[in-house]
Amino acid sequence: MSALTIEYPEDAEDVAPSERRREATASFRPGVGGWVARGVVGALVAAVVLLYPLSVPGFRAGEFTTGVIFAIIGLSLNVLIGYTGQISLGHQAFVGVGAFTSAYVVTVQGQNFAIGVLAAAAVGGLQALILGGVSLRIRGLYFALVTLAYGTLAEDSIFNIQTLTGGGAGQPAPRPTGFVSNHRFYYLCLAFLGLVLWVDWRMMRTKGGRALLALRENPRVAAAYGVNVRLFTLFAFVVSGVFAGIGGALFAHQTTFVVNVVFNFQLALVFIIMTVVGGLRSRSGVVIGSALFALLPPLIKMLRLERPLKRMDLTIPVIVLAAAAIATLVALRKRTRGAALWAPAAIAAISLLVLLPGRVPFLEARLHDVPPLTPELAPLVVGPLLLLLTLTQFPGGVGQQIRPITQWLRGRRFDIHDRGARDVVVTDVRA
Amino acid sequence: MSVLETRGVAIRFGGIQALTNITVTVGEWEIVGIIGPNGAGKTTLFNCITGFYTPNDGSVWFKGRNVSKLPVHERTALGMGRTFQNVGLVKGSTVRENLLTAQHLSASYGIVGGVLGAPATFSEERRLAERAELILGLLTLEDLADTQVAGLPYGTLKRIELAAVLATDPEVLLLDEPGSGMGPEEADALGDTLLELRKEFELSIVIIDHHVPLITRVSDYVYCLNFGQMLAEGPPNVVRNDPEVVKAYLGEDPDAPVDTTALDEELTSAVEEAVPGVAG
Repeated sequence: MSALTIEYPEDAEDVAPSERRREATASFRPGVGGWVARGVVGALVAAVVLLYPLSVPGFRAGEFTTGVIFAIIGLSLNVLIGYTGQISLGHQAFVGVGAFTSAYVVTVQGQNFAIGVLAAAAVGGLQALILGGVSLRIRGLYFALVTLAYGTLAEDSIFNIQTLTGGGAGQPAPRPTGFVSNHRFYYLCLAFLGLVLWVDWRMMRTKGGRALLALRENPRVAAAYGVNVRLFTLFAFVVSGVFAGIGGALFAHQTTFVVNVVFNFQLALVFIIMTVVGGLRSRSGVVIGSALFALLPPLIKMLRLERPLKRMDLTIPVIVLAAAAIATLVALRKRTRGAALWAPAAIAAISLLVLLPGRVPFLEARLHDVPPLTPELAPLVVGPLLLLLTLTQFPGGVGQQIRPITQWLRGRRFDIHDRGARDVVVTDVRA
Repeated sequence: MSVLETRGVAIRFGGIQALTNITVTVGEWEIVGIIGPNGAGKTTLFNCITGFYTPNDGSVWFKGRNVSKLPVHERTALGMGRTFQNVGLVKGSTVRENLLTAQHLSASYGIVGGVLGAPATFSEERRLAERAELILGLLTLEDLADTQVAGLPYGTLKRIELAAVLATDPEVLLLDEPGSGMGPEEADALGDTLLELRKEFELSIVIIDHHVPLITRVSDYVYCLNFGQMLAEGPPNVVRNDPEVVKAYLGEDPDAPVDTTALDEELTSAVEEAVPGVAG
């Protein structure tokens, strides 16, 4: 069939200028110097990830470990929300099942850590298979409701089974031998993150991942391409469950003691927010976003100066200031100069009114009556702010914003304009 | 011997009888045209053939087998390839990615092997990429290979869609208005393409289109639908001159003075269909 070529009439208007630019970028190959520069930057990033945690005290290294584990959980949710377009509001249960499985296998059954993680991955995949098999006939909001119900069910019943989870008392989950210290366990978790990233990368480079992207955007086209839509949605669900199981197992052995109250709905919300803020369908973005949310509570803890002003907690003013900064940023991006002045001015005025007398106007409440923001709740206050910013101003999240850099590292030309939303509004295929 | 056949297909949507007793036969290597005014049920017939709709009555036969109960992807696996009236492509992906996705069924590795990065997947992926390249070259689309689909001109999209459906390795092509959005020259080139593709890939083709010159030129046999019923069938020139067909299209006796308001309406709705929001 190679003998056949069909000539089409030349049409200069066929290719828009932006497409020409993209073509030029595609055929670009960096020179020796370019590769050296990319190597140096890549090595720097690797050095920060690999070496920096060694230079901090053990408890801080533990916080970084949580960041790595959250990244695995974020990637798990990304498979579901990003690749198939289904939202899970019960992902805390998926992670919790993995955590308790590994804790049970290691503590009660006396098996080693490797078997614990394997069991957690298997059980994670199995619960996804069962739940998915029952509920994936429905899509969108109703599917989210089913996962919400499952999360609540797990919270209230499965996680209270005495023999499996120790009831409310919790289940010990010791670290594996050789990885007892926080520093060493960090590298173990990093290795698992690498494994998950590899699987995710291979999936998106083979037919399974391509089928997912097609059916997310347009199930009818996917079916016409020969994709069994229901089977592959289920497949994505299982992959997500396996990732969540692994993340849960690591989470258990990181805390060394799993208690069921940890896996509440708030955690599920944080998981969703961190994935979306990180940037759906962007591996690097999801990893950064998830780690950011894991590091938020310790960061807030550092911000909480010990009540220096009228026995007052500083977190709320800091967040108000952050909101003002975001409002300014948004106004500047929109090129509405007036709003850029007005928004921060108004926020500053209100802050002053409240801060100076130490009381909220018109309300019989003094400021220090407002309960201080606990670090544990911080992601749920900062998260929605970032989510709003992502949805309105930066669709594609962190991943989209760092795309020029990640593309450059892969050997493309540095293109600062490569940050526009690549998502399309999917029009219904009339057929 | 017929490759594709519908036997007395009928489908209702609520109170509307969208198709009534439609029998269509497509022989091996045959190009069959389906014409008819807007709303005649042409696309509905395609949806019944490919499995998007389940007919209330009648059956669909493909390669001597009753496929009426099979889901869409299994009919694709048997060798039905279809395009959509409003461009059926994954718009967030590039042209090349679309062609790779369309080869879903011919990728020989299992999904688990693919996910775990089994060595066989790498060589198989190379084979798929080469085949995609070949098909892109055939339709002179190589230059657009790494361009995102969304944002490309309509006529180009129709060509990409043709490339994608060829990548599914079909035996019968079902093309829903492949010529819409193309100028006369492009439609002419499309006719050449279809004739050559039939020869090269040993295809049967079913084609819905409003370009009557295109249909008459490439088709061996033409069916004309109107209000869900078979109005006429036969060789293209016979159907084109059938008084019933002319009446269905123009709403008048061809010898009587042409009622321009009816013609205007027909034109307006045709424009509205091609470019929603412009007319009216």
